[in-house]
Amino acid sequence: MKKYIPSLLIFFLATSISVFAQDDSISPQRKQAIDSLALEKVKDLSKYISIIGSKETQFSEATRVMDRAEELFAPDAEMGVSSINTNEIAYYKIRRYFERLMALNYDRVNISWYDIHYISDLERQPDGRYVGVITIYQRFEGTSQEAGLNYRDTTKKDITIYVEKKQTQISGRTIEFWDVLLGDVRVTETSA
Amino acid sequence: MRIVPLITLITIILSIHSAPGQTLNSSGRIIDDGRFAAATKQVNQFFRRFNAEESKDGTIRYLPGDENYHNEELRKSFINILFDNETSDVSNELKREFINHVVSDTYPQFLNFHGGEWFSEVNTVFNYNGKRQDVVLFLKLQPQGLGYEWVIENVSFEPFTAAFDKPTGDDKKFLHPLSHELGFMNLRKAIVENPKPESYTPDGYEPDYLTLFLYEIKNERLKFVTVKDTKFHFFQIDNWYFELSQFNRPGFNTGWLIANLMKLDDGDKQIILNYIYDRN
Repeated sequence: MKKYIPSLLIFFLATSISVFAQDDSISPQRKQAIDSLALEKVKDLSKYISIIGSKETQFSEATRVMDRAEELFAPDAEMGVSSINTNEIAYYKIRRYFERLMALNYDRVNISWYDIHYISDLERQPDGRYVGVITIYQRFEGTSQEAGLNYRDTTKKDITIYVEKKQTQISGRTIEFWDVLLGDVRVTETSA
Repeated sequence: MRIVPLITLITIILSIHSAPGQTLNSSGRIIDDGRFAAATKQVNQFFRRFNAEESKDGTIRYLPGDENYHNEELRKSFINILFDNETSDVSNELKREFINHVVSDTYPQFLNFHGGEWFSEVNTVFNYNGKRQDVVLFLKLQPQGLGYEWVIENVSFEPFTAAFDKPTGDDKKFLHPLSHELGFMNLRKAIVENPKPESYTPDGYEPDYLTLFLYEIKNERLKFVTVKDTKFHFFQIDNWYFELSQFNRPGFNTGWLIANLMKLDDGDKQIILNYIYDRN
């Protein structure tokens, strides 16, 4: 989270005075800024997943990256995973999902991302926070030396984002900014 | 030794075939061959496409005041691709009639996320008395607090349906009309000896399966296992019903698509609702 505060503030202070109204509604311009911030977090998550999944990553480094990746998420966020063969959802806590990814028994793991994403509208929840969904696509390739390329899948990831107005003090002034946290992630294997 | 290059060649051909059109761009990302762009990736995108509120590739959001916002031609081309063309049995004639109805010059109709008249059907699995069983939940969106929430409005569960089977005609037992003179002592026979106590309920009695469902969860006889799939039922367009389902398959006709379309006459809506809710 600490990493994002400077960028958040830059992001929003630059535009807040002229564009942002004082109320809690989200203008199209603000929505664009929030989308960009949310995408930045999703890209970081993608990067962390690649590092955690790589066999070349030392255990201590993978643990550190898992901690960082967990910081992107709201508490209690879960991964819901389904495959082509079974459409039933298997549930994993975020940390457990990362640990399973790290424990995969491939000599080489390559995780790449498609150049396409989709961002929903932001809808307000009863508690006043906003919620949205970002959809991305990922290709996973696991190689074992004995059998050659032995597993590949493409998954659609629908990632919940929570958007909340927060306050911070800078030089005695109270500055409002919008923060983004990731929530539950639905992982669906696709036929691609 | 000649076999090795042959195997290599076959492997290359197979790998190309299994990942058509997938190349990497300069930032190492896989370039979509158009299939994911074509897919209606979210229900939200279905709404936007249906209403013409985004560009064809989905990268530009059209807002009120934009030239293309709710554009008639764009809507026609979008709605045309929002049908499941591979497994559903919706005739081209019916599709055309529907499109002309919603993209009418005089009274165009749009989908509204908060407009009601649409709900979700979620197929779930629960353990009931230790056995895996399918439970269908029906959820609707309602205003709450500062925003909106999905709430469970109805439940369809075979053991509940089977438990309530009110007999009719001569098969129906009754409490005779002078039971009150005996202080309703015949309730013992009525309830203990008759396995269908629903016989003693008023005309029009409807069991409340949602309350039963919650009660069984609270008593830990019904335990959640997982969600299997979700679809949506729309009655928002005047005199039309359609079902929205998700199609995860190869090709370009994928994602959230209209799987069923019906034109409604008077009374049809209730018949369809009864069918969806598995009510007689």
